Amino acid sequence: MAMSNYQEMAIAKALNAGLRKAMQRDEKVLVFGEDVARLGGVFRVTEGLLDEFGDNRIFNSPIAESGIVGTAIGLAMRGYRSVAEIQFDGFVFPAFNQITTQLARLTYRSEGFQQMPVVIRIPVGGGIGAVEHHSESPEAYFAHTPGLRVVSPSNPNDAYWMIQQAIESPDPVIFLEPKRRYWQKGPVNLDTAPLPLHSARMLREGTDLTLIAHGPMVATALQAAELGAEEGISIEVIDLRSLSPVDYPTLLASVQKTSRVVIAQEAPNNVSLGSEIAARIAEQAYYYLEAPVIRVGGFDTPYPPAKLEEEYLPDADRILEAVDRVLAY
Amino acid sequence: MTPATEPMLQLLAPDGSYGVEKEYARYGEVIDSLGEDQLKTFYRDMARIRRFDQEAIALQRQGQLGLWVPAIGQEAAQIGSGYAVGQNDHIFPSYREHGVAITHGVELMSILKMMRGVNHGGWNPEETRFHLYAIVLGSQVLHAVGYAMGIKLDGKVGTGDLESDLAVISYFGDGATAEGDVSESLLFAAVNEAPIVFFIQNNQWAISSNIASQTKVPLYRRGEGFGVPGLRVDGNDVLACYAATKIHMDEAREGSGPFLLEALTYRIGAHTTSDDPTKYRDEEEVEYWRQRDPIARFEVFLKRQGVEEDFFEEVAVAGDELAKDIREQTFALPKPPLESIFDNVYSDDHPEINAQRAWLRAYEDQMGGHE
Amino acid sequence: MSIAKFPLPDVGEGLTEAEIVSWRVSPGDKVAVNQTICEIETAKSVVELPCPFEGEVSELLVAEGDTVEVGTPIISVVVQGNAPLLAEPDAPANEPEGDTGAEYKLPNLVGYGDSGDVKSRRKRAVNTAPISTAIPVSMVKAAAASDAVMAKPPIRKLAKDLGVDLGNVTGTGMHGEITREDVVGSASQASVFKNLTTPQQPSEREERIPVKGVRKAIATAMVKSAFTAPHVSIFVDVDATRTMEYVKRLKSSVDFAGIKVTPLLIMAKAMIWAVRRNPMVNSTWTDKEIIVHNFVNLGIAAATPRGLIVPNIKDADSMNMLELAQAIEQLAATARDGKTTPEEMAEGTITITNIGVFGVDTGTPILNPGEVSIVALGSIRKKPWVVDDEIVVRQITTIGATFDHRVVDGDVASRFVQDVASVIEEPALLLD
Repeated sequence: MAMSNYQEMAIAKALNAGLRKAMQRDEKVLVFGEDVARLGGVFRVTEGLLDEFGDNRIFNSPIAESGIVGTAIGLAMRGYRSVAEIQFDGFVFPAFNQITTQLARLTYRSEGFQQMPVVIRIPVGGGIGAVEHHSESPEAYFAHTPGLRVVSPSNPNDAYWMIQQAIESPDPVIFLEPKRRYWQKGPVNLDTAPLPLHSARMLREGTDLTLIAHGPMVATALQAAELGAEEGISIEVIDLRSLSPVDYPTLLASVQKTSRVVIAQEAPNNVSLGSEIAARIAEQAYYYLEAPVIRVGGFDTPYPPAKLEEEYLPDADRILEAVDRVLAY
Repeated sequence: MTPATEPMLQLLAPDGSYGVEKEYARYGEVIDSLGEDQLKTFYRDMARIRRFDQEAIALQRQGQLGLWVPAIGQEAAQIGSGYAVGQNDHIFPSYREHGVAITHGVELMSILKMMRGVNHGGWNPEETRFHLYAIVLGSQVLHAVGYAMGIKLDGKVGTGDLESDLAVISYFGDGATAEGDVSESLLFAAVNEAPIVFFIQNNQWAISSNIASQTKVPLYRRGEGFGVPGLRVDGNDVLACYAATKIHMDEAREGSGPFLLEALTYRIGAHTTSDDPTKYRDEEEVEYWRQRDPIARFEVFLKRQGVEEDFFEEVAVAGDELAKDIREQTFALPKPPLESIFDNVYSDDHPEINAQRAWLRAYEDQMGGHE
Repeated sequence: MSIAKFPLPDVGEGLTEAEIVSWRVSPGDKVAVNQTICEIETAKSVVELPCPFEGEVSELLVAEGDTVEVGTPIISVVVQGNAPLLAEPDAPANEPEGDTGAEYKLPNLVGYGDSGDVKSRRKRAVNTAPISTAIPVSMVKAAAASDAVMAKPPIRKLAKDLGVDLGNVTGTGMHGEITREDVVGSASQASVFKNLTTPQQPSEREERIPVKGVRKAIATAMVKSAFTAPHVSIFVDVDATRTMEYVKRLKSSVDFAGIKVTPLLIMAKAMIWAVRRNPMVNSTWTDKEIIVHNFVNLGIAAATPRGLIVPNIKDADSMNMLELAQAIEQLAATARDGKTTPEEMAEGTITITNIGVFGVDTGTPILNPGEVSIVALGSIRKKPWVVDDEIVVRQITTIGATFDHRVVDGDVASRFVQDVASVIEEPALLLD
């Protein structure tokens, strides 16, 4: 059996490589957004693509997020597969109308006559010391919208494969990239995809408690599990990977084993994705739970100024505080 | 009352007389090339769509439709422009373009089904090239621009072959021009030199807001700041609408970039059947525009061209038959199957949809009627 | 020819009523389709209504100036052929006038707006439970058989507060989960504050319950037994820890998955073994002869909503542990449902009464008529016990038994009880 072809790369580079592969594979794949062409994107995720594919395949858009998504929809109607970039999470809201009333619904409205193979890439999350509107976690708005798929890779290997799988999906995919992890390196298996797009993955096995996280919070969850192990707590860490649909069979299998759950997210807890997952676990795994499901998230305030974000964002300590509470039951 | 002082392309005056001003000569040439059959088709379809509209209003008042959106008064703008669109061009309507729909073979019952709540507009946009009605104002204009950008990427613009080159026409109303998406559309179309004609039906009323409150500058000039030239045409003159649309769609497909047409017309009826225009406008104004009816003036024109009386009678009879047929079909429309709630939410298989479909099925199987 | 009715439509997306401002037609008038028949005023505007039918006006059903709800028929028209259905009618509740004079119950047809208040709940046509969204029960039961304990959060808290180890409690809930009663029954004594509410004193000075049915039968049997046979009771305290361990192991064994395993099962087995060693305890006194039975029809006293009954398991001595467990479970379920037959209650040879589930240590049970022995299984509690000269905490129970001294002398009785106790102390004796 041939050895798999591995390469060490950062998440941003893995996304770049994945985009490149997708564009090579299908000439209908277009990449556009603000500053994606010559500059290669403010995070360099689209670096080098212009040289390889030319300005008919990758081009800059005017600073008009609604226009970016709306024209992506028209291009989809004409048979193109657009990968549209929204430069920062806080700027997706002008496009919110086109995303929720149009992109999410055209297949339903047209009774299947019109497919919407559009990927909207958005860097999300905090921890980079940025000014306002550059550190949001808007996944709940999109997970709440029927017709959309929402995914978020946490590591380079998933980034490389999930961007390609998202582009191949006939459905609109909101692709959330953990911006503070863009430079985190890891091995990428260039030959085989690890999992289907909407599968969750158990990253660390444990017996005392299930810790669920996604995107930028996964690394923090793994840190918490490592520290917990030093205290004799065995924490099982699950990377959601797909936020809509959520892979409940994988989550529930873990809950059956450990009976205790903590969900960690950067987003404010109130009416969050974590809230939905907690409710579903309580409903479907009632007799397995030894304790209530606890969410660790941001406070219910707008994202604070950078000097305070360390205290705002859940870190390993805040996660372990929740773990202690859950174990006390 | 009406911004009547701007330059406007008009070939057919309200009294039915035909004349071409020098600066609009090329538009006249388009009409010169039309045969009597084509002209009769214009008339027949305008009368048909009006009769359909009247029947639909009655059906709504009889509880058979939740809503009806009348296009009465706008027949010329829609039939004229609709026939000028190329065979393979794509059309992006808003929600009042029933006249354009019939020029492209969209079944009238499809539109009624939507208003009855059977579906959200289930005709095939690929087959008819007439896209689904858009309820969120202006949202469809961006889609039209994206489509036009796609045509350009496909290399179907400016090859010199008028038969195979493509253009897109995007319809919206005076009220929609206020939406941000429309401005963004003009911008994207201009910087991309997209092959698209923006066709504004200025029927002068957006529910109860008169056009004067929606714009400081006449709408045909809306695109100037973005780099999109424009022309005002008499929206109640089917020949002007036809000619203008023909010429500017062909220019777009030849690679001239986007263009904007403002068809000045009037919304004779209410915004929808839920609206009561007597609350906000004068009957005098409505009467003024009734005198400028598109169908009446065209009838005069045709008769002067020698079209016989029995043609008009035949059209009226056909209209009544159409109305009867529509009525019967509407009464017979079944409720959609319950599980269709779950169809086509996604193109690919989805576990939540599957689970909820199964749940509803099991729930309905368990439940009987009320005690 | 038939009568068509025109129910008032919702002409403005969510209107609920309208006033008939003026009629434009009268009874007897001929009307055409779409002819204006009246003017109505809604919350939004004044609207003319066109007639949906062609025919002759039969009756104006609403007067000018009246306000009616959407869906109320406002006019009836005689039409040719069958009246077109403007809305899906319910099964005609009233007498039909003409062919199709049914009252229209309007479903949520677009054009007739919201169907309004629901006056009653839909009935379940099929007699099933609500659809569960939980992990399938079979998976839950399998978990219950393993170390995981099935109990709802309030019950877990109760167990914690009462110092009850849920692992030792047998669940009697619908899916095998541990109920409040199960926990309370297992709780240790003095420190237990049961969450009893004191019921209100009834306002009447007395309540008179007629003596009849099951109560009368019980009374008769008890009197006959108590005042015919000389009753003697003896007691022994025994360390039941190994029995409890054995029960726990059985509960988690695959063979016993889904079957209730309790100390009662071990007690039953112990008694059957002890009977074989002391056959006299398994007999019947008649004035002429003592009939010693060479089979055991093991009676199990069961509390039912109508009183105490004693159904028995026929030929319990020929059953293996699994069969006996199933038989006990089946007997209890049947008794709970009130479906025990007279045959099932006849021809018992010896009886167990389980008073431990009520939290009682022991008692002096009355013999079941026709039998000469009855054994009481009391509560099993943690108590200090001496093992190898050290005081340790063990699970202790008192075995109480009553005998008919006409048949069973003190030595036989004692040996029998001692044999039972031995098995409870060391279930491995059953390997014999």
